[in-house]
Amino acid sequence: MIRKVLVANRGEIALRILRACDELGIETIAVYSDADAGSPHVLAAGHAVRIGAPPPAESYLVSDRIIEAARAAGADAIHPGYGFLAENAAFASACQDAGLIFIGPPPAAIAAMGSKISARQLMERAGVPVVPGETPADQSDASIEAAARRAGFPLLIKASAGGGGKGMRMVRGDAGLAAAISGARHEAKAAFGDDTLYVERLVTGPRHVEIQVFADAHGGAVHLFERDCSTQRRHQKVIEESPSPALTPALRARMGDAAVAAARAVGYRNAGTVEFLLEGAGDDARFYFLEMNTRLQVEHPVTEAVAGVDLVHAQLRVAAGNELPWTQTDLRQRGHAIECRVYAEDPSTGFLPQAGRILLYRQPERPGIRVDAGVVEGSEVSVHYDPMIAKVIAHAETRDAAIDRLRAALAEFRILGLPTNIPFLLAVLDSPAFRSGTVHTAYLDDEGAGLASPQPLPAAALAAAVAHVETARPNSAGGQPPRHDPWTTLPGWRG
Amino acid sequence: MAGPQRFVVRQGDSATPVEVLADGRVRVGEPGGGLTTRSRGQIQPPYAGCETGPSDVFVVTAVAPGEYVVASGVRTWRVAVAGPPEARWVGSEGLTACIDVQPEGQARAGRARGAHGGLTAPMPGTVIDVAVGVGQHVQAGDLLLTLEAMKMELPIRAPRDGVVSAIRCAPGELVQPGPPLVEIT
Repeated sequence: MIRKVLVANRGEIALRILRACDELGIETIAVYSDADAGSPHVLAAGHAVRIGAPPPAESYLVSDRIIEAARAAGADAIHPGYGFLAENAAFASACQDAGLIFIGPPPAAIAAMGSKISARQLMERAGVPVVPGETPADQSDASIEAAARRAGFPLLIKASAGGGGKGMRMVRGDAGLAAAISGARHEAKAAFGDDTLYVERLVTGPRHVEIQVFADAHGGAVHLFERDCSTQRRHQKVIEESPSPALTPALRARMGDAAVAAARAVGYRNAGTVEFLLEGAGDDARFYFLEMNTRLQVEHPVTEAVAGVDLVHAQLRVAAGNELPWTQTDLRQRGHAIECRVYAEDPSTGFLPQAGRILLYRQPERPGIRVDAGVVEGSEVSVHYDPMIAKVIAHAETRDAAIDRLRAALAEFRILGLPTNIPFLLAVLDSPAFRSGTVHTAYLDDEGAGLASPQPLPAAALAAAVAHVETARPNSAGGQPPRHDPWTTLPGWRG
Repeated sequence: MAGPQRFVVRQGDSATPVEVLADGRVRVGEPGGGLTTRSRGQIQPPYAGCETGPSDVFVVTAVAPGEYVVASGVRTWRVAVAGPPEARWVGSEGLTACIDVQPEGQARAGRARGAHGGLTAPMPGTVIDVAVGVGQHVQAGDLLLTLEAMKMELPIRAPRDGVVSAIRCAPGELVQPGPPLVEIT
């Protein structure tokens, strides 16, 4: 039984979890850094605790303060969300030591999957196919360079502790090797506090297809089908969908079985994702274990839409000791769901992340559209955190209908005050390669440059820009939208 | 309200005259056409059947705070607007831009967003490495320093050939957009 949950995260995922707790009658505690005082996730919680300065290393990554906040507020469980401490086995252990339920897998499963080196060995033993690669045991520059040359180019240098593309570098040849190693090491250290690097041959032209798995403490383990995350830019997922355009029913069943075997091999519990690289298509396509994300994923709403489940509700129930709410035969994939990540970044200047105040924010509202956002009008997009503003998820009967629906929703998503990647997302959705379902993980990096070029505003937009009379500024405290009376904003010459 | 009011809207290198007519409608471009801003190929003056003939004249109606319906007589657009005239954000159909709206004849007040010259921080960030020294010759494109912001490394490169005359930041320092971090003469 869980009665009170502390959510050790911020932004959209904190809100998502807080709302799920509300729905199940569970009390909530939010934590926040000074940069997030008054932000939506703080206002949504039953109680909120300040945990430090804006840099994550001084707030959202300080496990002692988070556990202390949970104890002081009488929480019986902690949900880590994704990122920050979500895949930190020491934090999961510390929660247990403090008598708190960690809403996620056992620390040993996190540790086993957290190191790409040990995860690979475990998967090989469990009969799950792995990508051909090299493991530099000695972490000196010279040793990593030697391992890289043995593996052959092109290759990837990755943070062993990492995920989400942080601390990852692609190297095409000797020339860029030394710089890639030092860059990856620095980013790995900054993002994860661990600069152990891992070298792997790059499978060219693959799709990224991941399987959602869920296991309980009673021996139950199921998969909830795939998400195709092949539309990536520099290894950051941009668009995710389910079903994958590349999977046949037979291949889906094989990958699902492999993912459940991977979860069982590490004694997994709760929600997790097994990522695969897929080479080729059809029943004969080959898939390789990439890594397991031992947490809720950013793109979990895609699975929720097609499987008709609530993964966060299930996380809370399984963490409380209950059995899985579904058996494998209960689960069906219905229709097609696609998610876009809306980022504060400027496609026309090389996707430079943007910080600043959101002056106007109006979400799309239409059937089959879900928006998970962590901001409101007046919010500050801070330099300290990931620049994702919102996720827009479309669900429809077919893939084409889902694309059309998502396109319409993005076009009516109004965010002013800083550039976003919405024009780029629209261009990707309109591209023949995406429409035909043939995008592989390198597609946007190789051929997507033209999709980022700026387009001129319609003349009508300039007419409104001149007619507009600014009546109020967004409240600098961040939480409250400006107070407008529609009539006072009417252009003055009309009165 | 008295007489028409004329404005100049600047976006990047382009400038478009915009006039609020005495009846409240808004003309974009020179009278009789001559738009410098095209509407994604959808509208090409003269408009067949448009009451105003070969001009880009719009009726602007506020429908919510910062939200407008703009009608040309041929079709309508939903447009969102926010911000002061010198940094006015405007968005329609998934496209947004920060533009500068000034009465005609007034000097440009706006700052062009994104037009940083390469020697200033594009966003607040921490200097993690300075790759050059004072007196060093650099060529356009050479790495000057590396910033870290939003968990990403951002290289700052020389915009032109020259000699580094001053370095105005140090590793570990948190820097803001605006002041130059390196000077090249």
